[in-house]
Amino acid sequence: MRDSPEVVLTRHFFASLFDFGFLSDDGAEALKRALLGSLAVALALGGLLVRVFMAKYSELSAEPIDVYQQAVMADHAFLMAVPMWFVAAAIGLVGQSLFPNQLDFRILMAEPLSRPTIFGAKLAALLLYAGLFVAGTHVALAPLGTLTMLGMFRTGSFVISALAFAVSSALASLFAALAVVAVHGALMLFAPRARLVAFSGMVRSATIGTLLLSLPFVGRLPAVDRAFAADAWWLRLVPPAWFVGLERWLVGDVRWPALAALAATGTVAVLVVSVVSYVLLYRRFDRVTLEPAASRRADASDRPLARWNGRSPVRHAIGRFIAITIRRSPLHQGLVVGLLAAAGGFVLNSLLNASGWHDQIETRQKRALINTLLWAPMTMVFLAVPAMRLALWIPLDLRSNWVFRMTEDGAGRAEGAAANVRAVWALAVALPVALMGPLQWWVLGPSAWRVLMVEMSIGWLLAEWTMADWQRIPFTCAYLPGKGFVPHMFVKGFASFVVFSTASVLVLRLSLARPLAAGICAVVFSATAAILAVLRVRHAREGRLIFEDELPTDVNPLRLTAD
Amino acid sequence: MLQARGLTKRYGGLLALDRVNFDLRPGEIVGYLGPNGSGKSTTVNLVVGLLEPSAGEISLSGIRLSDDAIAYKRQIGYVPEEPALYAHLTASDYLMLVGRLRRLPTAVLQKRVPELLRLLQLHDSRYKTMTAFSKGMRQRVLVSSALLHNPQLLVLDEPFSGLDVNAGLLLRTLLRTLADEGRMILFSTHRFDMVEKLCSRVIVLSSGRVVLERRVDDFAREGPDSLEETFVRATLQPDFAPLARQIIDTIEGA
Repeated sequence: MRDSPEVVLTRHFFASLFDFGFLSDDGAEALKRALLGSLAVALALGGLLVRVFMAKYSELSAEPIDVYQQAVMADHAFLMAVPMWFVAAAIGLVGQSLFPNQLDFRILMAEPLSRPTIFGAKLAALLLYAGLFVAGTHVALAPLGTLTMLGMFRTGSFVISALAFAVSSALASLFAALAVVAVHGALMLFAPRARLVAFSGMVRSATIGTLLLSLPFVGRLPAVDRAFAADAWWLRLVPPAWFVGLERWLVGDVRWPALAALAATGTVAVLVVSVVSYVLLYRRFDRVTLEPAASRRADASDRPLARWNGRSPVRHAIGRFIAITIRRSPLHQGLVVGLLAAAGGFVLNSLLNASGWHDQIETRQKRALINTLLWAPMTMVFLAVPAMRLALWIPLDLRSNWVFRMTEDGAGRAEGAAANVRAVWALAVALPVALMGPLQWWVLGPSAWRVLMVEMSIGWLLAEWTMADWQRIPFTCAYLPGKGFVPHMFVKGFASFVVFSTASVLVLRLSLARPLAAGICAVVFSATAAILAVLRVRHAREGRLIFEDELPTDVNPLRLTAD
Repeated sequence: MLQARGLTKRYGGLLALDRVNFDLRPGEIVGYLGPNGSGKSTTVNLVVGLLEPSAGEISLSGIRLSDDAIAYKRQIGYVPEEPALYAHLTASDYLMLVGRLRRLPTAVLQKRVPELLRLLQLHDSRYKTMTAFSKGMRQRVLVSSALLHNPQLLVLDEPFSGLDVNAGLLLRTLLRTLADEGRMILFSTHRFDMVEKLCSRVIVLSSGRVVLERRVDDFAREGPDSLEETFVRATLQPDFAPLARQIIDTIEGA
């Protein structure tokens, strides 16, 4: 049984779901350790949340049963949302492996394996993969879930409530997993074959980006008890709330029939779409195996060639290489979108916390809001710049980097470094500042332009500082994760963040108050960035490009013998 | 002229290449033969400058690799053994990237890239990303990129791999013509037929050492299978009949 083709194939598909394809063997091992560590951290956080919620529930035990139940509903929405989030993220990450693909077809169909075996094994591997995350998150949150239901002893319905919660939460996770599968299934069936890979990558990036941006909302779910009490209309837009409605319906409380109906309808809908797409793809395997004859008309203009033009040929070539790779490589697109969305989610959380949006006069809330608005883009820039550096580091196809190694020269290195800084500046500085600009203009008025100018100059300086020693062509250098000592890096990163965000908010407040100060700040930061740019050019001309990542050499060996 | 003197390469304790010497004159096509693990790819990587030798020197047209690697590499066009290219680019994107990295003028590239794609029958697929390309199509893109800057020395590692009959004949004729015009071609392969049809001289490598260097014409005079037999003798290959028997016994056994 252990060695039957079905089991072997399922094991193969399951293992390949964890193979991200861009790391060396050492890197993959390091990543596995990091993932296991994250799982341990998740379990520990589950325990910590119990401690936090204990105080809340000891207070609630004295409240009337209605108040207690509303609080439980809000907390259950949170407890269901967390596994939903993890499962959707896990399935979204492997979006392109949800269905047997061309490689599977070419390799496996040549073997004496039937199509049902291949599809069945793929499905079994997916179920195992999703089940791992569902089980892991539910185990981590089980103590918290139990705590929320202890008060049910008062009504004598603990067992029924626990069962209803378990069923609803499991269905919620199933819904999240199937929703991602359904989107990918529909895409596989209806997207033009020529754009299938690109669309699939875009959907994956969009899924990851949306999930990261939704984190601040997930964190706020324990505070929506009043919305449940008022049966607020917007709860119909929040899938975890649907399943809380279903939970209440299962225990016989029919005050939220619309939410329960949405949960049932939604789950059935995504289940049907997923099953139909699996069946149709099973019957029309050619959808994933046939390549298009041509992706564009042969008589199309030669615009792609024209786009490579420029006075600095290597800078243009590398800039275009970066742009194409981020657009077409699902891994890099997902990384860039995911990292920028993570920074955006962090900032969004603060903006949601802020009040005073409609205050017309200078109040304490208004001042706090302005500080948040000045802090937000700088925080996004601070997080996005190193994130972009990381995204540019993750290799694409190491065997193909010979073309850069063969054409390397001093001037080319300098031009390449300029292309790197431009890419970081565009995506990690200009984009966040542009996203926050309209909001700042709305609150600060025309004086926001001074703030924007200083933000741009600070961002440029940070980009130059971060990329000063980066002697690589993006996506061409091997990457070894986990080179640094994690606690040290965390403390250093946190300290840098505190210093940077505090100092930049002070500078921006000054710039907002005094136009002259804004001009001086912008000139000083830009001049410093320009000096760093000159040094970067010199450094690039003198150094060699790096194509192999190395572990740090300044290791202090343990001396365990007394020699 | 390409000159390799005392080329040695060690990977840790492993001696991959041991004091290899050879010359390659303008107009010559030299076949570089050897069994797997003999040091062929190491030599190729040293010649194109992707690896640094542990000892020894290489020079091309009087420019030593150790003195001026950039000027040295500018004279080389390279087709690697595996079709290693950035498959998320289109063929024209890839050739433009290589051309810009080699600092070819825009006007030259805008004329040369579409023309090369047309001549190598890739023009209809120029807007498709190379993920959809067959091995032969990728090989043709790599040949185009190696020729793009009109190099003095072409280093080709199994260039006929994956090419169909017509593309193979075109490449063979092209290499012969380039050699006739004075280019140097170093051609690493396992295919004796191609060496006999194309090369003027052959260098055989075994265990990191040159074990044979002869003109191809000499083999032709000695008989039809002379190159293959000499290769087997020179590289001390085992008698294959008992080995084949053992393999069959293994798969037929219980």
